[in-house]
Formats: sequence, C-alpha cells, structure tokens
Amino acid sequence: MASGRQAEAGRYVRLVPGAGYLLVLLLIVFAIFGEGFATLPNILNIGVQGSVLLLLALPMTLIIMTEGLDLSMGAVLSLAGVVLATLLMNERGLAIGLAAAAGVGLAFGIANGVLVVTLGLPPFVATLGTLGVAQGLALVLTGGQSVVGIGEALPALYESRRFGVPFSILIAAGAFLVFWLAVKWTRLGSYVPALGGNREALALAGVRVNLVHIGIYAAGGLMSGLAALLLTGRMSAGHPTAAIGLEFDAIAAVIVGGTSFERGKGTLTGTLVGVLTIGALKNGLNVMSVSSSLQVASIGVLVIAALVIDSTLALRSSFR
Amino acid sequence: MRGISRAFPGVRALDDVSLTVEAGSVHVLLGQNGAGKSTLIRVLCGAHHPDAGEILIDGRAVRLQSPADARRLGVAVIFQEFSLVPYLNLAQNIFLGREPRGRLPGAIDHGAMHAAARRLLDGLGLALDTHVLAHTLGVAEQQVVEIAKALSQDARILVMDEPTAALSDREIERLFDRVRVLRQSGVAIIYISHRLQEIFEIGDRITILRDGRNVASLSPAETSVDHLVGLMVGRQVTTTYRGRFRDRPGEVLLDVRDLHAENGIRGATLDVRAGEVVGLAGLVGAGRTELARAIFGADRVVSGSVRVAGMPLSRGPVGAVRAGVALVPENRKTEGLALMRSVHDNVLVAGLRTLFPGGWYRAARAARAVADVIGRLRIATPSPARLVRFLSGGNQQKVVVGKWFTAGSRFFIFDEPTRGIDVGAKAELYGVIDGLVAGGAAVLMISSELPEVVAVCDRAYVMRDRRIVGELKRLGSSSDNVLTEQNILRMAMHHG
Repeated sequence: MASGRQAEAGRYVRLVPGAGYLLVLLLIVFAIFGEGFATLPNILNIGVQGSVLLLLALPMTLIIMTEGLDLSMGAVLSLAGVVLATLLMNERGLAIGLAAAAGVGLAFGIANGVLVVTLGLPPFVATLGTLGVAQGLALVLTGGQSVVGIGEALPALYESRRFGVPFSILIAAGAFLVFWLAVKWTRLGSYVPALGGNREALALAGVRVNLVHIGIYAAGGLMSGLAALLLTGRMSAGHPTAAIGLEFDAIAAVIVGGTSFERGKGTLTGTLVGVLTIGALKNGLNVMSVSSSLQVASIGVLVIAALVIDSTLALRSSFR
Repeated sequence: MRGISRAFPGVRALDDVSLTVEAGSVHVLLGQNGAGKSTLIRVLCGAHHPDAGEILIDGRAVRLQSPADARRLGVAVIFQEFSLVPYLNLAQNIFLGREPRGRLPGAIDHGAMHAAARRLLDGLGLALDTHVLAHTLGVAEQQVVEIAKALSQDARILVMDEPTAALSDREIERLFDRVRVLRQSGVAIIYISHRLQEIFEIGDRITILRDGRNVASLSPAETSVDHLVGLMVGRQVTTTYRGRFRDRPGEVLLDVRDLHAENGIRGATLDVRAGEVVGLAGLVGAGRTELARAIFGADRVVSGSVRVAGMPLSRGPVGAVRAGVALVPENRKTEGLALMRSVHDNVLVAGLRTLFPGGWYRAARAARAVADVIGRLRIATPSPARLVRFLSGGNQQKVVVGKWFTAGSRFFIFDEPTRGIDVGAKAELYGVIDGLVAGGAAVLMISSELPEVVAVCDRAYVMRDRRIVGELKRLGSSSDNVLTEQNILRMAMHHG
C-alpha cells in the first residue's frame, strides 16, 4: 500500500529514468573525490564533450522507439565531416560546406529509411550495410589521411561563446529544444510511440505510416551530417574514422535514458539524462585519472545498472 | 452488402453473404467460431477485398480499397484485438491520426484534445485521467477507451465485435445506454456477441451465419435462444471416428482440483481417466488454452492441485514431462516442431532421457525407436532423415505425437489438433487419438469445432470466462447433459 502513490505516478510517463538517480550519485561521488570536477569550466567541458553525442542520441531515441536502430550514424558523421573539411580546404565557404554535409547525412538517412521501411530489411542489417558504404566512401575520398588546412572560420566559430556558453552547447541545446517541441506539440509525439507500439493502429487511423517512418530515419541521417560541424570544428580537421563507434555511445545513452527497444516506450528527456550521465562518468573518471580502457568497461556497467534500476521500478509499480 | 464472397487458400470463408443494416438500428451478427463473421467485418472495413459481391452505403455502390476509405465513408470498427498504443495517453490514443490542430501550423491543441476525450470517457462512465498511459489500463478499461475511439469518429456505421467480452455488468449497462443513444441519432450498428441475452436486449434484427453462408435473418421477437442455437449448429451429423467407446474407463490419470492460475483460470476442477478422450470446449477466448498451460505448468498456478496418476505435479513443464504429460500445441510449427530438422531428430527430442538413461547416445537404439514410432503412427515419410518441413500438415502433427511416444507419455493434451489439416488427415489423426486411448493413455482435447468434440470425445467440459461451466457426457442422464453440439453451444454462450 505504501507504493500506492508511486503506482499512480507510474500510470503517467515516468519522468525520472533510472539513470537520473545514477547521475546524481555520480555527481556527488565525483564532486567529493575528483579534484577539480565540481568547477564551472569542467561542468561546461562535460557539456561540450557531450554535444556531438546528444545530436546523434536525439534521433536515435525516436528510431529506437519505432523498434529500429541506426548503426550508420558514426560512419555517416565521419563522411560528412570529411566532405565539409574538403570543401573548406578548397575555400568554398562554411555555408556550402555545411549544406553539403547535411545533404550527405540526409541522403544516407533516407537510404536507411527506404531499406528498412520500404524494402523491409532488418534495421540492424540495413544500417550495418550503409555504415560500411559511408565508411568506405570516407576512406576513398581522403585516401585514409586527415584533411587539414581547413582555414580559421570553422575553428573560430567552434571556439566562440554567447553569454559565456560554448558554441557547441548552444547548438546541442537548440537541437534538443527542436526535438522536444516536435514531440510535445506536433503529431510526431503520437506517431513515434505508435510506430513502435502499434503500427497497425496508426495505419488504420489513415496515417501514411511508411512516410513518417522513413522521415524518422532521415532525421537520423540529417543530424549525423549536422554533427559534422561540431566534430570538424573541434578537431580543426576532417578525419575519415573520427566518429567510428559513436553510434554505440548514442545507443547506450538512449538506453540509459530509459527508452526501450519494444512497444514504443521512450522519452527525449531521458536521453538527455543518459547523455549527461555518460559524459559525467567519462569526465569524472578522467579527473580521477582512471585509464581509458577501464572507462569503456564503466560505460557497460552504467548501461546495465540503469536497466536494472528501471526494471526494478517497473516491477514495483506493476504490483498495484 | 450484397452477395459477398471471399476465399482464402483452402477455405471458402464467405459464400454469397448478404447483409442489410438500416440506419438507426442494431443488427446482430451471430455464428459459431469460423462462421465468417470476422471476415465479413474485415471486408466492410476495407481490410479484406471481396472476391465477388458489392457493398452499398446509402444506396450507392462503394469500393473500399483500404481502411482509410472505409473510415472516410463513416465506417468505424471496434475490433476484439485492442488497437491502443501502449505508451500514448488516453487522449492521444482516442484521437490518433485525427489530432485537433492548434493555432500554430503543425501544432496539436492538447487542451481541446483532452477535453474532448474527457467528454467521451465521461459519457461511457470511465473516470480515469486522460493523461494516463494506455498500457497501465486493465482489459475492461482498454475496451472502454476503444469504444470511445470509435465514437469519436462520428461514425454512421459502427461495428462492435464482442465489445462486452471483458466488461462487467455495470459497464455493459453503460455501453448499452450509449448504443441506444447512437441508434436514436441514426447510426447503423452491427453488433457481434456470443452473449445471447444481450442480443434480445439490444438487437433489432439478427442475421445468422454458418460455414460462410447466410442461414437466416429474423427479428428477436420471432425467435428464442433454442431456435438460434439450432440455426447456428445446423443439421446434425452423427459420425464418429472412434473404434469403440469404453463403458468403464480406467484409473484417474489427470486429477485437477480447484485450480486458480495467474493467467486467469478460476477454480477449475476436472479429471481424465485412462482410456478416455475428454473434450475441452468453448468459444475462442474462453480460457481453454490457458487451462491447458496451467495444467502443464507453463503458466504459474496460484492455488489448487494438479495430480497425474496420483502424483502432484511440480516444477513446471519439466516436472510435467517427467510425470508423463505430453502437450501437442496449437501452433505445431512454432511450438511443437523443429521444421528444419529431420523426422528422426524431432521424434527423439523429448525421449532422449527415457531412451538413454545413462546419458550416452546410441544410434542403433535411436533408429529402432524412431522406426517404431513411424510404424505405429503410420507417418508418411520417405525416410527418417526427411526434413519435417516437407511433410504434410497431418504427418507433421503425427510427428509431434510421436515425439511424446518416445518419452513414454501416458497423458496427452491436444490443443486444436486438426486446425489447418485436410479432411483425410483429420480422420487419420482421430485414428491416432483412438489408438492412444485404446492403449491405456488418456487424452484431453481442446477443440473449437463442435462436430469434432461430439464425434471424438467420451466426455467434454465446457468453458466460459475462464471457468468450467459444465460437463457433458456421451451417455448423459438427461437431455441437458448429453454431449451434443447444441448443449455445448448453449453452455459456452452466456445467457440466463
């Protein structure tokens, strides 16, 4: 009976994913034991490091909610970054470079959507295929070398601040706002959970299911392309394998944030918490001089811990 | 709807069926499982295309290419299977695809949506907050939301497929009030239900389907429950597939007492004796498969006892198999067979422990056991190495039975054993069942086909709403408890 109110709350969207508790715990532990962790520059640093990840994790949340997956994001991001850097090197200007990067991303996103939705390939297989294509193209384009000498415009933009907030955090915050508003205030908020939870019901409601579904994969590609702006700016170069494996961090962040691969369950706020938790963990371990190999293992532990907390909470609230 | 026909591979689901529904009336569609009701509804809502016949709405012939077409023409359907999205709230579910637009382009007016949902749910007496997520609702609550969803479409033709199956009496009264209001406002309602007393309470006209054909169309005033049941069952065919029925069955092999299970089974008590085929009859959703799963230990038992040959069962399916219980599941392809393996491998899989108690596999003994099973069940296969995938449905079913032979099972549960196999294979499978009981085994057979239950079983239990509601015997003491199709149907349908 003591859990009556909690069970009642469970009937709505659970606002705090399991990772929320972990994040608070991590912040406290690192603030106590990590020297220099709880300083403003370091906190901003967590945000900067997490910005690219958030750009990928936002569309990844929607894709996973449709019971899908996009493994190609890291490779597409690398390819878009190489294209952007090459155009900058040839002094074509930032606008053209960004448009080209976005175009590359969008093209791959639409390809993913068509493969999965129209042709019915399993998302794992389809996006593994486009991962290979994008990675291969990036290597061919550069001959495996980094593209340097991209001029000062992009690095300067990346280093700039507004109201004391780094550029990359502003971009990430803007992206979050756009996604959040789209889910909160447009039909997308109903369609995405329906695609994963009951596709048939959505089709019977007369919605053009396939188009919406492809659009979600397209958004994944577009965001991967746009993320190239931040990554290339940070490195002052384009590297064909810069973002390899980043999609797995994005998937981890989404899962840590309480989104499920089944039945259309998930929230963007959860993903934000997931990105911050992974960022805080990496940063904190760095501050405490833990080796990078152990950091990889710690993310694995984090994913499992978040899932255990979530399933325990779900189990409790199911005993009504 | 005029002269609608629709065939599926191997089945003529609808054969020249006509149905006329007037605005402002409730038209009840009645028929056994598989009579063609669902197919007719799917044609009406655009999910199936008829092979022949036409649909007229307001006297004009219409072509329904998709569910969206049907919806535009004012046809709304409440299906038995729930169409709610688990992680959307009630308002989002009710207005899915028809969200009220806000002032900004592309925006939703959440306030208007929740207010409209509130009004609809109030009208149906559901006091839940519209912000609650659908997956947290119980079945009855979900059903009410489903009805609200259909009502929100301002339908002119509303199809309700067993809307009351999960509802309590009070909820049903509320629903009927709504239905009467809708009827008054000129909506044409097609109502499918197995609860006969409802039909007399709400129906203006009754159409009965049997084997995909129109049998009768009449008004409730000119008929009775017995008359309706008779029309649904049709002509009596008294064939039997059994060699002989035993007058005196043997020892009790299965003894179930007051079984309650997590899957909803409530207070089931039954027994099956050696040498008996006992039927488990009832309509789809009555809980027959659930009862079988609870007996087998596949679903958790809350209270009560299951004894096989006097020994209490425990430890779930493992304990059941070791005690000699064999389950021949409904979905043999997914639950009973490894399609890409050979007859030999499939037959042996359940009997390895019995055949090779020491744990060492011996090819010669295995081959002998397989040959024995193939011979005894007369499985038509060119060799034991043949992949099960290439066998006919009837022979696949025999392989599932054979698998339990090698395990030394004495008590068999058959779940819809003849679904999807042809007439000849059916007769042969009945022969297998007859052979089993003649050899001292006991059989519990779940079947939706009434003629099959009557022709094959010594006794039958009838289920409704996850309870056993009656027992019928081949040699009943009065006309009310003799095993006939009418009696089964009467018990399986809710009335009185």
